[in-house]
Amino acid sequence: MNNKQFLTELSGKCQMSAEQVAGQVQALIGVMENLWQNGDSVSLSGFGVLEVKKKNERVSVNPTTGVRMLVPPKLVLTYKPSSILKDKLK
Amino acid sequence: MDNKINLSQLADLLAQAGGMSKAASEQFVKNFFDIISQNVLTEGIVKVKGLGTFKLIQMEDRESVNVNSGERFTIEGHQKISFIPDADLKERINKPFAAFETVEITEEQAASLGEMNQETSNDKSLTTKITDSMEKGKETEPKKELKESKKENAQKCDSGKCKKAIIWSVAGVLVLALLIILLWPVIGGKALKKADKDAKEKAPAPAVVKPEPKPAAAPAPKKEEAKFTLTKADQEKALPLFTAADTVNYKIVGTMTTHTMVKGDMLTTIALKYYGTKKLWPYIAKYNGLKPRQFKRMPVGYKVKVPKLANK
Repeated sequence: MNNKQFLTELSGKCQMSAEQVAGQVQALIGVMENLWQNGDSVSLSGFGVLEVKKKNERVSVNPTTGVRMLVPPKLVLTYKPSSILKDKLK
Repeated sequence: MDNKINLSQLADLLAQAGGMSKAASEQFVKNFFDIISQNVLTEGIVKVKGLGTFKLIQMEDRESVNVNSGERFTIEGHQKISFIPDADLKERINKPFAAFETVEITEEQAASLGEMNQETSNDKSLTTKITDSMEKGKETEPKKELKESKKENAQKCDSGKCKKAIIWSVAGVLVLALLIILLWPVIGGKALKKADKDAKEKAPAPAVVKPEPKPAAAPAPKKEEAKFTLTKADQEKALPLFTAADTVNYKIVGTMTTHTMVKGDMLTTIALKYYGTKKLWPYIAKYNGLKPRQFKRMPVGYKVKVPKLANK
């Protein structure tokens, strides 16, 4: 399902125009991004948790050349599905 | 910070930002995530522009071990929901760490890192200094030293990524120099002795690999690298009576005498007694077939054969 199909389905469900839905989606993502940048996590029952995690720096070795690289620490947005959603998968 | 935002809180924030009523916002957010979770199950993939991609991925069977009983068992293959954030979003989230780049670690740096670790064990407050200067490397680097280490690194890497490497090594040298300057007045008259001691503490690690009395062709480039940094460090400490390089210039030509360990004796003190320098202790270790873990714990009464050394 691509972005267009997603927006169409969302506009059908919310009975809103396509432009309105697109604007709201942008607003929602913007709101969530602000939360993540403040270190908060977005937790929705039945869906899961979207949060930012810090990955520590590490030394990786290129297996072919044996060159050792120091990979810097980084912040990554992670998603952990809720157990309800996981159960539905089975 | 570290708050868990739930559906209604998120809806409130969206209502403020998007100009919808709270009820409508809540319904919207609910539908938004409902559609994602439903369609990821039915279609296997949902792409949302600006957020990222939710995808079903197949996990293969794999073996694992029960940590309690040690039994092996297979984890059945299953499907998992993965999430890959949008490239733009990913970049914006990582903004605080965006300044870091992946750095290639050269042998030299590995050696200087080792040096730094040894220094830190002497002075624990240094740890913070090192990390500080690593992070602020750009501001603290003096240009003169930059040139110097540029020269050192020039053969190894020419790419732009190298910049970071230089900063790191500069930071290392800087901290080293700082420590010496700080310690100098304290040491005062005993400067030479103290420096000797410092060097002794540094010497063992790289020297251990060198005691083999093989021809000069043998040492791998790695060893030479270590040797180089060591001699450089020694020059900074201003005590070049014997550099580490001298320690490979001898060969063992027989037993000179036998020494019985008394309390307080170490390989280095024996070397000092018979050769006049502590740095030749690896020859004694080599000649007696000692293992590294034995170096520091020689029992009293142990008979050590002291080898006779001759120039190669």
